[in-house]
Amino acid sequence: MWRAVGFIAVLVSAQAQAQALVPYRIENGAIAQSLTGVKGDTAKGRAIVVERQKGLCLLCHSGPFPEERFQGDLAPSLVGTGSRLSEGEIRLRMVDSTKVNEKTIMPPYYKTEGLERVAANYKGKTLLSAQEIEDVIAFLVTLKDDTQK
Amino acid sequence: MNRLACLVLIIGTALPAVAQDARKSGFDFMGPDTQAMQKDDLANPGMLSVLEGEALWKANAGTSQKSCASCHGDAAQSMKGVAARYPAFDETTQAPLDLAGRILQCRTERQAAPAPQREGRELLALTSYVAHQSRDLPIAPPKDARLTAARAQGAALYSTRMGQLNFSCAQCHDDNAGGHLGAAPIPQSHPTGYPLYRLEWQALGSLQRRFRNCLSGMRAEPIAAGSQDAIALELFLMDRAAGMRLETPAVRP
Amino acid sequence: MARALINVPQKSKRGEIIEIKTLMSHPMETGFRPGMDGQLIPRDIIEKFVCTYNGEVVFSAQLHPAITANPFISFTTIATDSGTLVFSWTDNKGETQVQTASIQVE
Repeated sequence: MWRAVGFIAVLVSAQAQAQALVPYRIENGAIAQSLTGVKGDTAKGRAIVVERQKGLCLLCHSGPFPEERFQGDLAPSLVGTGSRLSEGEIRLRMVDSTKVNEKTIMPPYYKTEGLERVAANYKGKTLLSAQEIEDVIAFLVTLKDDTQK
Repeated sequence: MNRLACLVLIIGTALPAVAQDARKSGFDFMGPDTQAMQKDDLANPGMLSVLEGEALWKANAGTSQKSCASCHGDAAQSMKGVAARYPAFDETTQAPLDLAGRILQCRTERQAAPAPQREGRELLALTSYVAHQSRDLPIAPPKDARLTAARAQGAALYSTRMGQLNFSCAQCHDDNAGGHLGAAPIPQSHPTGYPLYRLEWQALGSLQRRFRNCLSGMRAEPIAAGSQDAIALELFLMDRAAGMRLETPAVRP
Repeated sequence: MARALINVPQKSKRGEIIEIKTLMSHPMETGFRPGMDGQLIPRDIIEKFVCTYNGEVVFSAQLHPAITANPFISFTTIATDSGTLVFSWTDNKGETQVQTASIQVE
């Protein structure tokens, strides 16, 4: 378990493209505190997860989405995420999964520094906004193992 | 167990284990209809480019009024095996060069013709025609010490995480080949059929165009066509595919 | 327009059903795609394909923008006499390209 203190990316007025990242704190394999302080919207979170161009999730993950064809098989199913992981653990994985597994193929959803050769129109921007991440987390915590079928 | 079965079992275990090549061409990841399209030279749309290339090979070009055939004669003889050993170290520029770059150089330097565009119809037709002469030959990267630096550069690029999505080529094509990114099967990325006809492009395209697709998908800056980085990566991939059969012009989804 | 690859069986028997395959090099630009400058690329498609066998039409087709680039068309016909097959492709600007193939029937 390692501990890292989040940082504030200062928005320099000349760099209109770069966005300021909300500070976060990793402790015991989780980011316990919400990135925005505003509760995530479960329905919006589900919409982000199934929209492949937005959340990208179903390219790798499968999950409880019967209306979605051709879900990827490169990552664990999202079924039961809310039973396996705490809200804070989910938040850490979404923000930067390399902090959990250095070799992960999961993209970092809330990171702009330390990335190589980022395309010009994505430079300085996070994959999802802080609130969008909270929306996805709010949805994923609802995915409980249903052991009483 | 009866005696015959015992005998078979003994003989079976006595045979030496034959190492299976775990490498598979992108051909093996395709459905049967697409495979059939590639195998039939009269249905393979890549062959249209090869035919165009054949016509260009024989046509006089530039102020030299020479054709490729003027120097190289019958391509089926002179170009056999060439594509299998590219990228190669080019004496003129004293740097590694890919096949398309070599053809481009011939056009401008030896035929005194205007430089054809990378990924343009003329250069693709000529490259596909030349590479087609190596069809069914094993990929044979040259053993040239002057390519060592480019080989290392290519290997490094292949395993460097890039883009907003932070992927390296190796993570998909080594670690996850055979899996599925959404609907798309992930192949091992061996350049066994380039230039090839991609159904998604509805056109023939180069390996370097394919790099651009991946890199833009990863939200990374594309590698410039014909750049040393592009040639280095191509060289690395050809090394990795050494011994595999060339299929040019391949068809891919 | 560019060329076409045409496959006609080299020899056939009178009365035999034969398959003729054609692969036409054509961009089949729909007219719905914007180019790099944001402007729509003008439509450029084959609209009609006709094959005559010794002067008689044995196959014809109307093509629409949904057909992919480099259309592959194959059809069957009955081998009657030796002679000439004439293939013609007409585009949306009214230009026609013609290619012929000979057929030998025993």
